[in-house]
Amino acid sequence: MSSVPISAYLALALILFCIGLYGALTKRNTVIVLISIELMLNAVNINLVAFSKYGAVPAITGQIFALFAMTVAAAEASVGLAILIALYRNRKTVNIDEMNSMKN
Amino acid sequence: MENAWIIPLFPLLSFLFLIFFGKRLKGASAYIGILLSLASFVYSLLVLFERFSSPTHKAEAVWLTIGDIQLTAGFEVNQLNALMLVIVSLVSFLVHTYSKGYMHGDDRFHVYYAYLGLFTFAMLGLVLSPNLLQTYIFWELVGLGSFLLIGFYFYKEEAKKAAKKAFIMTRIGDVGLLIGMILLFWQVGSFEYDEIFAAVAAGSISTTMITLTAILIFVGAVGKSGQFPLHTWLPDAMEGPTPVSALIHAATMVAAGVYLVAALFPLFTASETALMTVATIGAITAIFAASIGLVQTDIKRVLAYSTVSQLGYMMLALGSAGYVAGVFHLMTHAFFKALLFLAAGSVIHAVHTQDIEKMGGLWKKLRVTGPLFLIGTLAISGVPLFSGFFSKDEILIAAWAHGNTVLFWLAVIAAFFTAFYMFRLFFMVFSGESRSDMSHVKESPGVMTIPMVILGILAVVAGYVNTPWFGTYLGDWLTEGNAALGHGHIEGPSWIMIVATVVSLLGIFLAWLIYCKRSLSRDWLGAKTMYNILYNKYYIDEFYELTVVKVMKFFSLFLHYIETFLVEGLVKGVSAAVSGLGRLGSKFHDGQVQRYGTVAFVGLAILIVVFAVTGGYLK
Amino acid sequence: MNFDYFLTFLVFSPLLGVLVLSFIPNTKESVIKTVGFLATLPALLLSLVAFFQYRAGVSLEELSENVRWVQFADPDTLGNLFSINYELGVDGLSLIMIVLTAILSTLAAVASMYIKKEWKGYFMLFLLLEVGMLGVFAAENLILFFIFFEITLIPTFFLIGKWGYFEKEKAAFSFLIYNGLGSAVLLIVIMVLFARTGTSNINALASILAADSQNLVFSSGTKMGLLIAMLIAFGVKLPIFPLHSWMVRVHVQAPPSVVMLHAGILLKIGAYGIIRFGMGIFPEQFQDIAVLIAVLGVVNLLYGAFLALIQKDFKMVLAYSSISHMGIVLIGLGAMNEAGIQGAIFQVVSHGLIAALLFFLVGVFYERLETSNIKNLGGLAKGMPITAGFLLAGAMASLGMPGMSGFVSEFMAFLGLFKELPILAAVGALGIILTAVYLLRAVLGITYGKAHREFAGVTDIRNKEWVPALVLLGIIVLIGVYPSVLSDPLTSTIETIIFKIGG
Repeated sequence: MSSVPISAYLALALILFCIGLYGALTKRNTVIVLISIELMLNAVNINLVAFSKYGAVPAITGQIFALFAMTVAAAEASVGLAILIALYRNRKTVNIDEMNSMKN
Repeated sequence: MENAWIIPLFPLLSFLFLIFFGKRLKGASAYIGILLSLASFVYSLLVLFERFSSPTHKAEAVWLTIGDIQLTAGFEVNQLNALMLVIVSLVSFLVHTYSKGYMHGDDRFHVYYAYLGLFTFAMLGLVLSPNLLQTYIFWELVGLGSFLLIGFYFYKEEAKKAAKKAFIMTRIGDVGLLIGMILLFWQVGSFEYDEIFAAVAAGSISTTMITLTAILIFVGAVGKSGQFPLHTWLPDAMEGPTPVSALIHAATMVAAGVYLVAALFPLFTASETALMTVATIGAITAIFAASIGLVQTDIKRVLAYSTVSQLGYMMLALGSAGYVAGVFHLMTHAFFKALLFLAAGSVIHAVHTQDIEKMGGLWKKLRVTGPLFLIGTLAISGVPLFSGFFSKDEILIAAWAHGNTVLFWLAVIAAFFTAFYMFRLFFMVFSGESRSDMSHVKESPGVMTIPMVILGILAVVAGYVNTPWFGTYLGDWLTEGNAALGHGHIEGPSWIMIVATVVSLLGIFLAWLIYCKRSLSRDWLGAKTMYNILYNKYYIDEFYELTVVKVMKFFSLFLHYIETFLVEGLVKGVSAAVSGLGRLGSKFHDGQVQRYGTVAFVGLAILIVVFAVTGGYLK
Repeated sequence: MNFDYFLTFLVFSPLLGVLVLSFIPNTKESVIKTVGFLATLPALLLSLVAFFQYRAGVSLEELSENVRWVQFADPDTLGNLFSINYELGVDGLSLIMIVLTAILSTLAAVASMYIKKEWKGYFMLFLLLEVGMLGVFAAENLILFFIFFEITLIPTFFLIGKWGYFEKEKAAFSFLIYNGLGSAVLLIVIMVLFARTGTSNINALASILAADSQNLVFSSGTKMGLLIAMLIAFGVKLPIFPLHSWMVRVHVQAPPSVVMLHAGILLKIGAYGIIRFGMGIFPEQFQDIAVLIAVLGVVNLLYGAFLALIQKDFKMVLAYSSISHMGIVLIGLGAMNEAGIQGAIFQVVSHGLIAALLFFLVGVFYERLETSNIKNLGGLAKGMPITAGFLLAGAMASLGMPGMSGFVSEFMAFLGLFKELPILAAVGALGIILTAVYLLRAVLGITYGKAHREFAGVTDIRNKEWVPALVLLGIIVLIGVYPSVLSDPLTSTIETIIFKIGG
């Protein structure tokens, strides 16, 4: 049985990561930025799982790690959204250009 | 003689003591100065007598070690040094005494004596030096003493200018000396006179090098002895107190140039070019300064130009291989010129002016100063039987014997000028009617006249130590045991003596006709232009002002513009670059997380590319 | 001298003063000034003890300290540890510099009596600066040297920027920018040396490079590049034309007590660095550019002198005179023989003392007359005769009057250069005349002539103001009359250098 080659997984992860990166760096809407970050995390997860099966030393560690990453990502997303909502209540906007309070 | 090094320490002690405690002593400072200078005179005299019977003494210790080179300091008592010691300490002692009267009542009395002490220390140190480096050290210190004393009346604008000028003009010469001395050092490997002469005698130095170093050293002498073209400081130096002029600018310091050439005489004789330079400069200075002296109206300036002219004579003598003649004239000149200055000081002290147009008829008022001034005038004019006659005669003979015919005649003309202007001075000051109110004029106190009397006696008799009639004791003694210095006496045709006598008497007679008898008009110079040129000293000062000073100022300004535009521009460029970079960087710090992210990502990307291309760290 | 951390204690002793000062309220002016002064004394005493012990024949090796400090592994060859040691040590040259630093610091602390505000902060920075300066000369390790070098930078910046005159901020910033750039260049040099050889000890580096005649460790081009970078780094400090303009500003704007240290010591770090690192580590390359150094020296000498000639402010005259005098250091170094190098070191010490003396006097009369413009002064000798006397003496020392230290150094530097490059030296000798011209113009302009003002109510120098001037003048004359006091301790250092250049 011919299996899917590892390069395909990696290519998928790369594409996902780039889309995520692009979104994170360019989108104005903070919600979309958060979603883009999730995409990047998922790209990493795909890599982890792929290497746990096809890597030089196949081990279950990769998959466990992917699970960890998903958990952390979920937590991060909820915290991120909570901050976003707090910010939205203060500023009445989700536009990332206006969130430059780091400057001062 | 082993303890001759103590001699300069007496005046040094006087300097240190007075500078620290003088303020409390006030008038008593004079006694300290006088006593200590007397001590060095007595000691010098002992050394001189001892030197008659024993050989040269020299002692040295290491002063500074530079790698393998050891520079030494010490002292040497040879004939020339012993003689100079006595001249310097004697004149210094007399001037110390005289000043007590002359400077009476000045608030900075103690400072004056301290400076005199410093100068005397330096001058005595100079004449004891066994090597060029030590000579240079004291040479500069002597200049410092002179500078301080010229500027003693510091609140006078002229005194300040004169002091500055004296220092700078002599320093120009000193740099020549320094260069010459260092070049010589790298040829010989030592600053010691003995070793230099040994190297010269052995022929281990090329003739070009000898000529070069000798001329450079002579430049130092030109500066210090007020020779043309660095002479202009000396007449201006008359801004100092008059006793100082007698000590420094007549008898001792200005003679240091002559002393230096005499001390390095074997070096100069090794190069005909160097000798010729010395003789030519000497003769030019002699006639040049004498011609200026003809028309000056300030009593001290006339004497100053006369000093310049006489120093030119000494240089002419040395340049004509007349070692003895030069040193002999140095000695007699020290006595009669110091006398003239002290007498002039006494006149100024009495009448409170230096302008001879305002004097006249003082012979009757100043019964001591007048005759003494006359003695000095006769001596400098070269009237037979006075000391100047014998020494000047020696010089003329030396010049003739060395074949410098042109220079010889120049010197004869200068002698005529000398006799003329000195008697012009004498008649204008002492004869005829007074030209301003002279009722308050009184003779100076004994403390001033006694030193003058001593100098007066010396001005008459000092010539008899070396005469063609009674024996050339001085010359024989000076050249004893050192063939390089030439003979004790140079034989010359006897008509020279007659010519010299006739010329000086002619000068005196002419001066008498014009200024005493008034049978000739005073506008003897006919053309007004000639008079103006002489009166303005050939416009040398103006010439320097226009050339050297202007060029230097211009160059400074030029560099100033470079500094403001080029160097400061560089600064502006650097600071603009720094702040520009900062501004560029601050653009990225706009608080936008996304921008930060982009920058971080780009950086990461670049790093990855670099690693991918090079395959590891940058090597 | 027999205890282990002699040098450490010597270097860090001023910190004791900082500690004490931190408990004193900012308002107690006289207490702060006294403590600040006292805090400089331990270093002075210890350095003098070391100096006299050395003169008595005790070896300086005993003083060396070496403690493991920082270690990390080389990523390529794991296990081969890069280590930086805390190494202090002195030889004749650095001992003299330490003594000079200690003396000038104490005197500058006395001169700090003219400081008018925030004494506490002033003295804390002042003492920190002293630590930095002492450390620079005691460090035997390039990285340690660099750290101390930077320590001097920061206090100086604040001392100028806060306690200076009208344009103090500008002066402080140009000081920081120039010296910061210099330090950056120096850091690059140090890092390259360290990365390639694995050591930052000066002696070890020197022997590694001396053994590298085949150019295996560094190519000859790299060596030359490193040397030139080092010259630029130290040239900013010295300063070498055209990197000097920051230093003119600092001289004019900083308070006199700081300038005493700045002109006296900080500029000398440049000269020290060139001798110790430039000549010590790259002797061959240094020889190749010796002529260039000598030319730069002559340019410095004449450029500074010409500009000093037309300055209106006495402080500017002194600033340009410092540039001119540092030219003599370069001239001596460019000669590359015993006389030249010894002359250069003498000039370093001598100018340190003379500049400190002159700036102290500037402080004295600025305090009373509130101007240093030559035109507005004049006739000072009438109202303040003693100050004027000291000023004249300082000027004489500066223009190389024999019997004072300036002459000995100038003489030796020129003696050295005349052996190697007589024509260049003759051109440089013009500087001797110019020095006399500009100094007399300025000093006589201030002290002599008609008094432009009433000196009623102006008191002359008195009480403890005497002390610094007299001590400085005393040392200047001592060195001038008996130069062996300085040359004996230097003998072995100079021999080592000459041995390296194969002279």
